[in-house]
Amino acid sequence: MDIAAGEFLGFLNLNWQLATMLVVGGVLIYLGIAKDVEPVLLIPIGTGILLANIPLGGLVDEGGIFAILRQAGIDTELFPLLIFVGIGAMIDFGPFLERPYTVLLGAAAQFGIFGTFFLVYLLGDGWLHILDFSLRDAASIGIIGSADGPTSIYVSTVLGSKYAAAIVVAAYSYMALVPIIQPPIMRLLTTKEERSVRMPVKATAVSQRTKIIFPIVTVLIVGLIAPKATPLIGFLMFGNLLRECGVVERLSLAAQNELANITTILLGITVGGMMIASEFLKPETIIIFVMGIVAFALDTGAGVILGKIMYLASGRKINPLIGAAGISAFPMSARVVQREGLKADPQNHLLMHAAGANTAGQIASVVAGGAMLMLIPLFG
Amino acid sequence: MLDAFWIVLLGMALVFGVLGLLLGAMILLNKLIRPREKD
Repeated sequence: MDIAAGEFLGFLNLNWQLATMLVVGGVLIYLGIAKDVEPVLLIPIGTGILLANIPLGGLVDEGGIFAILRQAGIDTELFPLLIFVGIGAMIDFGPFLERPYTVLLGAAAQFGIFGTFFLVYLLGDGWLHILDFSLRDAASIGIIGSADGPTSIYVSTVLGSKYAAAIVVAAYSYMALVPIIQPPIMRLLTTKEERSVRMPVKATAVSQRTKIIFPIVTVLIVGLIAPKATPLIGFLMFGNLLRECGVVERLSLAAQNELANITTILLGITVGGMMIASEFLKPETIIIFVMGIVAFALDTGAGVILGKIMYLASGRKINPLIGAAGISAFPMSARVVQREGLKADPQNHLLMHAAGANTAGQIASVVAGGAMLMLIPLFG
Repeated sequence: MLDAFWIVLLGMALVFGVLGLLLGAMILLNKLIRPREKD
């Protein structure tokens, strides 16, 4: 026997980097199970990290299961698009259609994407050259501000960022932290008087026919102006059409449940499998996580500031807090707005208005992702 | 650096432009199609 023990015993190949990643995987699984932090995502991601970083496991090597899943589902953009069908089938755009003006709040809250992109590019190749961030990396990191995991995966993969795994984990992790990140910024930018503005709970009813036409019109408008957003908006609105058309309930339920669940499992474990020690343990990863908070904060700030402008323009009828829900973290940020509104006035129910801005943010984040995909190749 | 500035400017303009059009379309749809009894 001329075989060294190190060739088949995993623990003999364990170094501090791999051990750190095993701990990171364990922490994510712990947060998912014990603290109920995005368990649907963190448990598969944590498990993927554990499996990918076991020495000699071979899962990430060429022909290994994670390499195959990555090629089939991430590099081809298949998984994020399939998830979008499920999301589209789950979202009721009713609150948005009843209050169409909320679309502007969704647009404003995308400033986090572009503002963060600018800051990251300053730190990287744009000016300071402190960190290894190219124009494409900066755009991919900025897209964390879309508060939307599938959009983050899609954009960072299409742009070919080397930090795709860290970006995706940051995007998903911060969605769970929306109730912690948003309230201080909302309170900082508004007065108690502004937060107390009551808005009517009932709105003009919307026809079911409008709900059916809406996804088709949206695909046409977004696709014809920002064609790079067509795959994302197309699959999102396809799912919504299944939901609203009323004749394919079976398909709608399958998209909401089986398709979304199976793809979430595959996507989660594959993203975890992308987080191997040699690619993840870099100073840039820490900056990416810091920039994720910056992106969410800028999103919130920009949404609230446009909310304040609307408050003044409407003769103090619009509560500026609902601008914070323009971030597409659905439905967490709408709930945060409702809670902050209730704190200012226990009779103040902003949920439906915030849900309108929140679903508008979902569309806006996809458009912003498409805008990035369109503009970066022009300048980079 | 200037490139990044243009990307921010054009990106936000594109987002507001597309969603502004969508807003117009939604207002028009809501005006043209009134809810029926069963809605």
